[in-house]
Amino acid sequence: MTGNVRGVFKRVTVMQGETRVSDDPAVVMTTVLGSCISACFFDPVAKVGGLNHFLLAEPGQAGTDPASMQRYGVYAMEVLINAMLALGASRTSLRARIYGGASMHDGLHDIGAANAAFARRFLKDERIILVGEDVGGRDAKRVEFRPTLGLARCRTAAEPAFVPIRRHTPPAHRPSGDVEFF
Amino acid sequence: MQRTIMTVDDSPSMRMLLNAALSDLGYAIIAAEDGRAALDQLRDLRPDLIITDINMPHLDGFGLIEQLRGMPEHANRPILVLTTESSDEKKARARQAGATGWIVKPFDPVKLAAAIRRVLH
Repeated sequence: MTGNVRGVFKRVTVMQGETRVSDDPAVVMTTVLGSCISACFFDPVAKVGGLNHFLLAEPGQAGTDPASMQRYGVYAMEVLINAMLALGASRTSLRARIYGGASMHDGLHDIGAANAAFARRFLKDERIILVGEDVGGRDAKRVEFRPTLGLARCRTAAEPAFVPIRRHTPPAHRPSGDVEFF
Repeated sequence: MQRTIMTVDDSPSMRMLLNAALSDLGYAIIAAEDGRAALDQLRDLRPDLIITDINMPHLDGFGLIEQLRGMPEHANRPILVLTTESSDEKKARARQAGATGWIVKPFDPVKLAAAIRRVLH
């Protein structure tokens, strides 16, 4: 990847449960993925992009039924899409890359594969063109994404496969699912 | 008599989720992909409830609600907003436009069902 005029990038680290978007050509977003998925979206016309980083569910967690997982997965994608639209992206111009979804544990439900399957199905349903992916395997991956160019680099993370992942729980103040009548 | 709900959301995935959740509750569902498509259908249709997203192309949720409230046949129809947004500013705008209520995504099927029962029964 080439930098801006000065060759200086602004590195933005995206943790599990977070979403970041940018229209700054100097920004490089980076995230490390185990069984989580990161969807990297970009609009090549508006030169806007962003990525999310989500883990739909793990065995033993409440709401691990397929319907719950899909609700939260659709939410994670919608947050990213809405943030990009707010920066001037057009839904019809969106392109996507997906990364992660590794099988991190033997003998347990393959959360990584389920995450990857959800991401592919969502993009197909939403008619967002998938232009690249690196999912599956058994190793953690480090992704670096240039949001305004839609370019990404994905490498096996230097860390061991058991990458510490900050478990995402909805912030206490977020009224997810709550109903307010006017 | 089976009640009818119109869902308005530009995400096919969200429309499918809502269709599944609301059909399971026994409601008939009419879906629209954005505010403009909803408005076109609502010139003739009279659903018992409208559930709409905010961020949509062509005509967003605020614009849809404002236009419906200006139509005598929809002036008092229950309209719930279902959105990822949660800012006080956006809620105030929805209230001013004439929305009945506000639900934050991802929706909780139990809470959604309770909210629908409250406005319909």
